[in-house]
Formats: sequence, structure tokens, C-alpha cells
Amino acid sequence: MADLAVREKRAAKRGKGRPRNSEAAAPSLAAILNLVRTGRATTRQEIERASELGRAAVADRLATLGELGLVDESELGEASGGRAPRLVRFNEAAGHILVATLDQTALGVALSDLSGRLLIEHHEALDLTAPAEATIGRLETLFDWLLERIEPTRPVWGTGISMPGPVQSPPASGYLTDSPPLLPAWDGTPFVERLIARFAAPVWLRSSVETMAMGEAKAGEGVNAPHMLLVKVGKRIGAGLVVGGRLYRGALGASGLIGQLPVQANGRTGPLEVLAGSDAIAREGLVAAEAGRSPMLANVQKRTGAITAIDVGQAAQTGDPGAMEIMSHSGRLIGHTVATLANMLNPSLIVLSGSIAQTNDILLAAVRETVYGESHPLVTRDLGICASRLGSSAGLVGAAAVVVDALFEPGHLRSWILNGTPIAAPDFIELMRQARTICASGKSQSRDALAPPATEGTSPAAQAGPD
Amino acid sequence: MSITGLGPHGERAAAPSRVALTEDDIKSARGARFSVAIVFHTTDSDWSRQSLAGIAATLGHCGAVVTEVVDCGFDAGRQIEALTRLKDEDVDAIVSIPVANAAVVESHRQVARAGRRLILHDNVPTGLLPGSDYTSLVSADNFGLGLIGAELLSPHVQADADVGLLTYGVDFYATNERDIAFARWMRANRPDLVVRTQRFAALDRVGEALEELIDDRARLAGLFVVWDTPAMDAVATLERRGLDLPVTTVDLGLGGAMNLAAGKSIVGIAAQQPYMQGVAVAQTAILSLLNRPVPGWVALPGLAVTRSNVAENYQQVWSSAAPAALLAAQRE
Repeated sequence: MADLAVREKRAAKRGKGRPRNSEAAAPSLAAILNLVRTGRATTRQEIERASELGRAAVADRLATLGELGLVDESELGEASGGRAPRLVRFNEAAGHILVATLDQTALGVALSDLSGRLLIEHHEALDLTAPAEATIGRLETLFDWLLERIEPTRPVWGTGISMPGPVQSPPASGYLTDSPPLLPAWDGTPFVERLIARFAAPVWLRSSVETMAMGEAKAGEGVNAPHMLLVKVGKRIGAGLVVGGRLYRGALGASGLIGQLPVQANGRTGPLEVLAGSDAIAREGLVAAEAGRSPMLANVQKRTGAITAIDVGQAAQTGDPGAMEIMSHSGRLIGHTVATLANMLNPSLIVLSGSIAQTNDILLAAVRETVYGESHPLVTRDLGICASRLGSSAGLVGAAAVVVDALFEPGHLRSWILNGTPIAAPDFIELMRQARTICASGKSQSRDALAPPATEGTSPAAQAGPD
Repeated sequence: MSITGLGPHGERAAAPSRVALTEDDIKSARGARFSVAIVFHTTDSDWSRQSLAGIAATLGHCGAVVTEVVDCGFDAGRQIEALTRLKDEDVDAIVSIPVANAAVVESHRQVARAGRRLILHDNVPTGLLPGSDYTSLVSADNFGLGLIGAELLSPHVQADADVGLLTYGVDFYATNERDIAFARWMRANRPDLVVRTQRFAALDRVGEALEELIDDRARLAGLFVVWDTPAMDAVATLERRGLDLPVTTVDLGLGGAMNLAAGKSIVGIAAQQPYMQGVAVAQTAILSLLNRPVPGWVALPGLAVTRSNVAENYQQVWSSAAPAALLAAQRE
């Protein structure tokens, strides 16, 4: 027994302070990287305290993370009496993230760093009813443009796409390996496989309300709101919920489809989005113009031959009585449904999003009035209701946040950290090989997600890049 | 002409009429005697002079004083220095054209944090938000300008050739939009053409960039340059090389207008309306200072200028009669 104890002590002493590129180090490497990345620890002393690892172990792991290019210790912090401590920084430029938002009428694209901060973005009009090839081709062209424009020195680590409808959750954790049902016109199109094959990075898909909610929580109105509800008003009306910085997706990724809830208006009962969405606003605008209740909309109709929901919103904003009544009516219907959600969920903040809601004070005022009037006093005591300022950027910021959260989720991070990058991990290399095979054959495959990535036998020296 | 592009955050454009001032607004502004500082990327271009004229005239009409006009000379350091100083001075609003993207984000953000109204003109650095970091963006429909540039160039380019896209190397919202739109139009309408992109890092390197493009691409049959100042340098380079290529560009500067009227290299110009954009900038600043709601993005459409309509468009853009030399060149 005594000999064994001595041997163990000697073995521990030998290992102390030396780099250990074995899978045993992965959990502590991942833990330290996430402490540094999220700003919870910025010096070696803080890492020791937060991780409960010894000084030598922390030095060992930081040396490994430095060799992998994931942290940097070149900057000095402020001295508090003695020598200035070295600051430990996450290398946000170690990789990049491509993100896009696809909705009924617009396409947005951006490139972010690994903190999720957008470096460049672009938005343009798009008709989502066009053939899938036209939309996907345009998306690929714009991604190429971003990469050519920024000339990133490090590769893309992930791609996040915000889709116009709900995205079914994959059956198991791990990478998305094929294209879930997205749009009727896209059936059989290997969208996900194409993106994986072309940009050599894993893909995450979320619905637009989910990414917008994440975006508002990360960089918009909801930064300081622990319980935030986002309501997007457009042709469709949907809601996204973020609790404690995490997106609530529901059992199948279909939470927040509030546009389907029945409401009553002018003696009719119908889904909220049919009676209060942008199509309804445009339709009522046309009726008001033709009935002589809205001089401004009549003028728009005369000049352009049509009236859009944006026209109605702008006319309302400039004081046109007929347009104001339409926006107010729509706001009251939406407010009624949102009040039900507020009473159920007790959020600290409700953010209205979508181009009409963001630019129209009358709609916002009507929602506020209805929610405050129909909710329990405790629910509304500290409740804020505001319009988004991020606009369509919220979806891009949120899509980047989804990718960042997934890449650095502790279990997933442990699976690739010894490779220095997720795209050099064997499971992703295999996924990309499959995607390229599918794209080459023009077929889609089964809808299984890969099992959580294996961690065996991966050392930095043994890694090969993804082509 | 309608607005074809979307704003820096995907916004739909608001028309300039949305920020029109009423008599009451003007009366209130005169009583308040606002002060406004202007920080431009350059004051040394026809576009800048027209835009400044629109801003100054409108502010003057509203009793607001322009306290200073800073020429940053396309230098981010100079802009950061100016904004850092101005935010602590006694001005109510600052009008700025950000000269870069990431490099000048923080200095612009500090302006709003110091309690000054910040009206951005033509460019928004990525990450700045309307309402909190800046009041409003006023710009041309830059995406539309790129489409016009492509459409005007297309008839002059033979089938199955290369077209050059000479664009700005600095990450700049306005030129990015023109660049993307030009390539999109060509891809959709002239799939037989290959767009060859070449970037110039600074205005004094336009000739060098074009030389590289020419040497690299023997099939070059047309050129789009993202604004008129580098376009005139490009035209000079083409002449020096003895190349007769059709060129389109953006902004109806005097040099470009004369070249177009004379039927030389420039075959079309997508013109902004800088004076009217300046008016909209000033109106937005006044409304914001009067605590009236203003849209996040106000945009003005571009004008498609050809040799046949250059005189009347010159009048519209410059608010003055076209020079006699231009009319004579057009007649020849």
C-alpha cells in the first residue's frame, strides 16, 4: 500500500506543470476556455478561483489553449499593489461565423467573430416564393462576397440561418446532417448539405422569431432583461422567449406560433395573423382609401396603384386618421393575445419587432394599452414594452449567438477542443465528407443527426484540416 | 423612381417627405437657435460641396448655426480626433460621414452618449443602432445606384466578355451596396459577362488598381467605378493605356458630366442628389432636436443619367444651369 501511494505521488509530481494533450485534459480546458470567453475570469488568479484548479494545472491548460490559438495572454491588466497581472483573453478572431436571415421579402447576411459580434452585414429584397435554387444561390453568392470582402485569415467555424418558419429540432444533440422540412418549395433540396459542403462548417437553423429573440437578448433591448418575450409582427405573427439568456424552443422547436390563435374582430373570428398581420393592414388600408377615410392612402393608391402595410404605417405616423385607426385596431388585437402570454409567463420585457411594429408608434401604443389593461397588476408592475431598434440585424446577431452557444456548449466543446477548432474534429470531417457526397449525387439522405461527437484519440498533432 | 435597397439594419426606406418641416417646426427651431457641427470624409469633391450647401442652407433657414466643418481627408484617426473633441463642445448635433467601419464605431457611439444628436450621412459602421447610437441615417439608395450603373453599362459591352468592378477597399456601407447591386444585376441580366472585382485601398491608388486589372484581364470590355472621383482617375489611366472602354460610375461631378456629354469613355452615370440629401440631413437634425420622431433611414432615389439627358439632370442635381461647355459638348 505504501509503495502504491509513493508511486502515485511520484506520478502526480512528474505530470505537474507539463502539457497534457490527452482527452483527460479536455474537460478542464473547456471549462477554462468558457470562463475566459464569457468574461467570468480574466486573470490566472480568477481562473484558479472559479475553476477550483491548482496554479500548475491552470498554467498547463492556458499553455495548451495558447498553443491552440484560443487564448492570448499578451496584455497586462491593472496592478493592485504588486506586479500587474497578465490578462487572459479569448481569441475571438480564431474563427468566423456566417449568418443569414431569410424571410418572406428580404435576405440578410453577415459575418461575425467568435463573440458573435457582427463585422459586416448586408440586407436586400428577396422573393421567397422564387425557386429554391434562386434563393440558395443568392445566399451562397452573398456569403462568398462577405468572405471576399473581409478576407478573414481564419476559417469559418459555423453557419447560422434564420428561417421564416419553425425549424424542427434534430432528434439528438449533435450536428445537423441534412435539411429538415423548411419550405414547401424546398422539399428534397439539400440546403444544409450544400452549405456544409461549400463553406466547410457545421450549420444551425432556427426560426426567425427565435433568432430575433436571441439577438435582442444578446445585443438589443433585452440585454438586461432576464425574461424577455419578443413578438414579431409581419405577414406572420410569432413570439420568441428567452429565459436567463437561453432560448426556449419547446418540445419540437415550434414554440411561439401565436399567429394561429383565434381572435375576434368586427364580428369575425379568425387567426391573429390573418386579422392583424401585414396583409390585413394593407387590405384595410385599401378599403379606407377607397371609402374616402384616408386621404393619404388614397393619394398613395393613385400614384402607385397599390397599398402596402408599410404605406399604412407611414401614413399613420404622419397623422392620417384612417391609417391611424387601422394600426390601432391591429395593435389592440395583438395586445390582447400578448396580454394572455404576459399573464402566463410574467416577462420583464416585451419587444415588438418587424418592420411595421418598429416604425409605428401607434401600433406600439395600442399594444401597450391593451396589455397593461388586461394583465394582473403584478405582471405589469415592472413590465417594459418597447419596439426593437436592432431591426433585421436582430436575426443576424441571434443566429450568430445560436452558433456560438452551440460551439461552446460544454459537452460539445470538450469534443473538439483538443483539435483547436471544431472543423478539424474527426466527426465534422466525416460529416463534410457525407455532405459532399450527397451534393455530388444530388440526393438528400436520412434525417438522423449525428451522435454526439466522439472524443477518443484526438490530439492536436494528429489533426488534419477539412481539406 | 422607387428605393430598391434596404437600410443598414434591413430597414425599409422612409421618403424625404417624412422629414419635411412645417412652418411651426421652423418657427420653433428659430427660437431654439441650435448649433450643428459637420464632420465629412472629405470636403474636396463636387458631391461634398453640394451636400454641404444643402445642409447649411436648410439649417440657416431654421436659425441653426454650423459651428464647424471638419474635413477628415478619408482618415479615420482625424475623424476620431474630431468627434472626441466635438462631443465635449457646445454643439446640439453632429452630422457625420463615417470614413471607415470598425475603426470609428466607438468614437461615433460616444457622441450619442455625450448627449449630442448624431445624424449619419451615407454610412453606418456595423454595430451602431438607430435610436441609441445615432438618430438617423440619410443616404442615397446606394443599392439602386449600383443597379443603374450596371444597366447603363450593359448595352455598351459585347457578349461573352469581362466587366471590371473597380471598388473601394475600405469597408463602407454605401460603396458595398453599389458593389453588390452591380454584380447582382449583371449576374441576373448578363450571365454571359464575368464581373472582375478590383479594390483600391485609397484614392491615390486607383490607377495602380486599374493597371493590375487591365494586365490581368485581356477580355475587359467595360468598367464600373463606385464613385466619380476615382472614376475620373480610371478614365485617365485608360487614356494613358490607349484603351477605349465604356465606363459608368456614381455621382454627377462636373468632370464626369463633361466626359459623358462629350461622348467619351463615360457612357452613363447613376447620380445622387447630394443637395437634396443635405436638405434631408438638416431637416432630420432639426426634427430630432425638436424631439419629433424621425425614421431610422431616410433615402433618396438615384437618377439614371445618359448623354441625352445629362443637361437636365445636371440642373436637377446642381440646382443651376448646365455650363455652356457641357451643352456644347452634348450637341457635338
